[in-house]
Amino acid sequence: MSTAISAASSTESDAADLVFDVRAITLRFGGVTSLDDVTLQMRRGEILAIIGPNGAGKTSLFNSLTGVYTPQEGEILVAARPGDRPQSVLGKKTHLVNHMGVARTFQNIRLFPALTALENVKVGVETRQKSGPVSAMLGLPWQRREERESTRAAYALLDRVGLAGRANSLAGSLAYGEQRRLEIARALATGPGVILLDEPAAGTNPAEKRELAALIQQINTEGVSVLLIEHDMKLVMSVAHRIVVLNFGKHIAEGSPEQIQRDPAVVAAYLGTSEAEAEQELESHDQPELRTIDISGDPLGTDDPGTSAPEGSRS
Amino acid sequence: MNRRVSLPPAVTRLMACLGGSVVLAMMVGRQQGSQQDYGLAFRESVLDVRIIGFLLLGVLAFLVITYREVVTPYVRRPGVRPLVVAVLVLVAAFFLMKWYDPLGDGKFGTLADAVAQTSGILPLAHVFFGWLWWVALIGLPVGTFVAIAIRNRRLAWIMAGLSVVLAVLTLVVHARSVAFAGGVDHSFGATTAFIGFLILAGAGVVAARSQEETAKTRAFVEQVMAYRPGLPLIVLGILLGLLALVLATWLAPRGDNLTLVDTSSLFSGSGLDGLATAVLGWLAYVLFAVVAVLGAAAVWLRSRALGWATAAAAALSILAVLYTLYAITDLAADQGYGTGTGPWQNLGTGGWVLCIALFTVGAGGAVAALQFQGRRGPEGSSDGVAGRLHDAGRSTTIRSLALFGIGLALFYPPTASGFWQQSLSTTIGVYVLLAIGLNVVIGWAGLLDLGFIAFYAIGSYTTAYLTNSLPVKPPSWLALSPLWAIPIAIAVCLLAGVLLGAPTLRLRGDYLAIVTLGFGEIIRIIAVNNPGNFTNGPRGVSDPVPHPVIDLGFVRFEWGGTSLQYWYLLLVLLAIVIVLFYRLEGSRLGRAWAAIREDEVAAQASGVNTTRVKLMAFAIGASTSGLAGVFFGSQVGFFNPQNFVLNNSILIVAYVVFGGMGSLIGAIAGAAALTWLPDFLRDQVPAEDRTMWIGAVLLIMMIFRPQGLIPARRREAELTGLAGHDIAARPSVQAIPASEGV
Amino acid sequence: MSDFMNYLILGVTRGSMYALIALGYTLVYGVLQLINFAHSEVFMSGAFGSFLVVHAVVGDGSSTSGVEAVLVLGLGLVSGALTGAVIAYVLERVAYRPLRKRGAPKLAFLISAIGASFLLSQLFGKLFNRLGNNRFPSYFNADRTLFHVFGARVTLLQVIIVVAALLLMLFLDRLVSGTKLGRGIRATAEDAPTAALMGVDIDRTISRTFIIGGALAGAAGFLFGTAFVFSNTMGFIPGIKAFAAAVLGGIGNIRGAMIGGLLLGIAENLIPTAPWTGTAWIGIQWTDVVAFVILILILVFRPTGILGERLGRAA
Repeated sequence: MSTAISAASSTESDAADLVFDVRAITLRFGGVTSLDDVTLQMRRGEILAIIGPNGAGKTSLFNSLTGVYTPQEGEILVAARPGDRPQSVLGKKTHLVNHMGVARTFQNIRLFPALTALENVKVGVETRQKSGPVSAMLGLPWQRREERESTRAAYALLDRVGLAGRANSLAGSLAYGEQRRLEIARALATGPGVILLDEPAAGTNPAEKRELAALIQQINTEGVSVLLIEHDMKLVMSVAHRIVVLNFGKHIAEGSPEQIQRDPAVVAAYLGTSEAEAEQELESHDQPELRTIDISGDPLGTDDPGTSAPEGSRS
Repeated sequence: MNRRVSLPPAVTRLMACLGGSVVLAMMVGRQQGSQQDYGLAFRESVLDVRIIGFLLLGVLAFLVITYREVVTPYVRRPGVRPLVVAVLVLVAAFFLMKWYDPLGDGKFGTLADAVAQTSGILPLAHVFFGWLWWVALIGLPVGTFVAIAIRNRRLAWIMAGLSVVLAVLTLVVHARSVAFAGGVDHSFGATTAFIGFLILAGAGVVAARSQEETAKTRAFVEQVMAYRPGLPLIVLGILLGLLALVLATWLAPRGDNLTLVDTSSLFSGSGLDGLATAVLGWLAYVLFAVVAVLGAAAVWLRSRALGWATAAAAALSILAVLYTLYAITDLAADQGYGTGTGPWQNLGTGGWVLCIALFTVGAGGAVAALQFQGRRGPEGSSDGVAGRLHDAGRSTTIRSLALFGIGLALFYPPTASGFWQQSLSTTIGVYVLLAIGLNVVIGWAGLLDLGFIAFYAIGSYTTAYLTNSLPVKPPSWLALSPLWAIPIAIAVCLLAGVLLGAPTLRLRGDYLAIVTLGFGEIIRIIAVNNPGNFTNGPRGVSDPVPHPVIDLGFVRFEWGGTSLQYWYLLLVLLAIVIVLFYRLEGSRLGRAWAAIREDEVAAQASGVNTTRVKLMAFAIGASTSGLAGVFFGSQVGFFNPQNFVLNNSILIVAYVVFGGMGSLIGAIAGAAALTWLPDFLRDQVPAEDRTMWIGAVLLIMMIFRPQGLIPARRREAELTGLAGHDIAARPSVQAIPASEGV
Repeated sequence: MSDFMNYLILGVTRGSMYALIALGYTLVYGVLQLINFAHSEVFMSGAFGSFLVVHAVVGDGSSTSGVEAVLVLGLGLVSGALTGAVIAYVLERVAYRPLRKRGAPKLAFLISAIGASFLLSQLFGKLFNRLGNNRFPSYFNADRTLFHVFGARVTLLQVIIVVAALLLMLFLDRLVSGTKLGRGIRATAEDAPTAALMGVDIDRTISRTFIIGGALAGAAGFLFGTAFVFSNTMGFIPGIKAFAAAVLGGIGNIRGAMIGGLLLGIAENLIPTAPWTGTAWIGIQWTDVVAFVILILILVFRPTGILGERLGRAA
């Protein structure tokens, strides 16, 4: 919880350097308002966590940030890489948003299962390459050089997430935790300035969660801003510099982990009980021995209904 | 829902089996039915006595499926699989293959009748064709099976020995009978039977030697392919070579069948130059022996250098043999011996089969060398020893098949009959090209294009336009010879691909299928309706498309003499396309295709410009049909809209699917096999029924082996699906996610 | 004007047949999200099946009495529907269910359906004949003029076709909106997993959906055969057009299919002839092209059709 305060404090001195500047966006599906007048700012170099009960609009926010959905109102500006001029993502196609330096993972892992781990990452690396089909057909020197470079880069990334030994296994045959990490490697392969992680710890065991926390912090220290959706409070509290809380599509709180833990509105949103009771519940998270309570408000553990959203909307 | 008591699964299964057998009964039979009596065919196929046979077949299938547990241990015994293969090969040799071309339908029965009525022929032939063949055909497999079933090693050895004897006997008797009768003979029946008996012998040996309870065929093959790569090719090559050197006809100038020895003596003292004389007299044997020994040594010693040496020696030997073939036919034509008017005429199969044999052994050497080279760099194989073994075995198997295919493609066509040469260079070759193109769209990018033939039509009509063959003439500077039309035709097809793709590629899979189908029909109807008198309507092109010409000033070559010339032109084109596309598959674009096919959303999120990538698949796929259009147009000279009907589009889809979606070799093999089969079965299956059988093949393929004949690694995992993943468990399409945020 | 009305009436006649076939596409699409490519052969089989029955009853045809004609008509419709239903059921069991159990990708379904379509069409050709001009025996005076509309002749047959089609559509509409089976179908279309949890037998519902769609297509086959000629390849063009009609109305939407069918029938007859201009504009040989172009335009610009998708919602 004490990590990388320096990074957070350094951004405070330069408040204008924002990665995401989300201004009052509203996203509706038919009669349902998924995001309601949400405003939030993400500073360069920080790890920002977005939490909130199921259906709070977290994944919708991600989809809006990456150009999958276009909010009906508001504006989203992104300047993912240091020195970028802020640009709007509204109406931009997903791959263009990615080229602007925004990479993401998915809540329900979306790898290319029949490609090897290495190929999965190479797909990401190669979206920034130039050579076209003709040079590939003729095997021209620069195409070969790019191919070598992408292999090298992909191996480096796999090594970084601890998957170098599985490079030639089919992605679909990897264990669950490995798939999560592979997805992060693929996202990093596109050379992002900011990476959006959608519940990266879902379904992983405690050891994997610790590795994941370390990985997130490592990515962050290497200069990539991290936007994180996560239900696992322990993970969020241990890595996030700041936390934004959404509920029913509304931005209800924002602040440091400590502040959020004490915020009565958050507690109420999560537990829907009296604030005092809730406070007690939340406080208990600080005790490391106690297993994290699932405060997702979802006793059955079913998936967030928003998961299938991107598929339908793009087809 | 109101619940009925479900039928027990066994009853459902029995009904399915019987239903299947009734359908089969309907599918097999004469073309029947008329407007006078509509029910005729139905009665004859379903109410006739023969239905009993089909129903029994259905019951048999039912029993096999139901009592699988009882049957399986027997099926899994070592030797059963080769036994089954052997029986199939023998039956095919008997029913399908020709045994002697000059005589009637050339089948075994015809030859047997003829032999029975001929006196003076080898007495053994009477015995063989009279009863021995039948006894062997039934007795040997049954005997072998009994040996396997009761695990009697001695009986297995005896059966294996008898099979070898029969194999040799078949060849010798056939060769002597044909030699006695004379006449040009290209038949492969006896050779096929020879191979069948050898496989049977193999089954016997396996049964006699094996200690295992169940056969591990796949593991065995992979092991052989990984540790002794090239061995199968070398064995095959040596067998073929022996056939070519000892038995096959080398020259048939006067309807007689001269073996290598006969040919040698025919040309002794005829002024044939030294090399050719030597090859005929002794060098052919020596060369073959050298290549064979080198190959065997390479495999035995696992030596890379020897492997490459084998390949090199084989190449030199092939050149020597080809030169000899040229020299003897040239001389024969010069001296007016036989009917030949130029080189390469009146050749028998011998020289070409020797070339195939040498090529095969050489290929074996090359495969071994490549395998021993090991895998460099980080791009290795799956994890674990078993995985590596599997991958190595698999890649070697595919390489071996591909190389053997190349050998056949190079040297088999000259020995084929005119019909086959025609069929190879028009139907088979063109559809292989088209299948390669469609494989890009369907197999790699995962877009179902049901109007692919439209691009072929566009390519063909472009060629016709550029070569002055349509009513509308191009400006004189644009009138080109077919070879020069190739780049323009390809460019036009690329453009057409982009024009069709740009608006439609956003559509999801099934909508895209329908749109492309509609596009295909639109193009065909335009060709028929002949707007602006451009296409000349249903009559087809107005003037024949000229043959291609290469004119370099000092050499001039015009195609058109024989189909064979086109075949070799096609091979060159195919080789270029295959190499280019192979590289493409492994490139960033190939991976991007795989990515959008697997998960479009994830691909987009990873920065893949899906529209652009799909468009490229469409355009690049379409480009091969431009090439095919030029080739086809200039070869046949004439085509009409009937060549571009929807059926053909779907047939190409079938070829790609059958071969294995996403696999370049698969697409080629699938197209070759499925275009070859109807021609091959033209006596057995009426032409009208072909589409029916193709439909059945597609259906069965999708139910039982969706990954195709030679599946692509990337595709195999996808298509076989994950068991238990009911579609109900994952609704694939949802409209707006209404539940989001609720 | 009379030309215009003539083409309009022709369009309505054809359109009502397209609508009948389109219903099969729409129903199956609703529950499976798949285009049943072999549906056109179900339509074709209906023509052959009903022909055999009608032929067996009236022989080579002679004008029969009115009552008899009505009976034979009914018999034809029923036998066509039965044949279609049986074929569609078998199709589902053979070409769809095994793949569904395996969770095969969509492409596999399309290809197996194409295979089944080839097989059926050619098997019928082999069993009966491959001639293109089979006719039903003339057991009533189909060409008798019933009345005139603005100078355009309306024949008995046209009225029969339209009325029969309308009755069948009405029947289907009642069936889907008012019965238990219909509720099952709608539930499956809306959300198959949930429907299964609620006790809907998905397999059986899908089978029955195929049967209903097949029966309608088979009846349409009888009507089509009575009006024109029939052959083993008759299914293709009407099949595609019916599909276009289904999409035009919004695939998965039952009323949409009806409206789409009528609209397409009218459009393809009016547009190429353009009777209001007094000259044959582009000519009837372009009828099919017009239909295909309409299809492509709808798919490209409004893939959800006139009434929108979703079986569950619209019916």
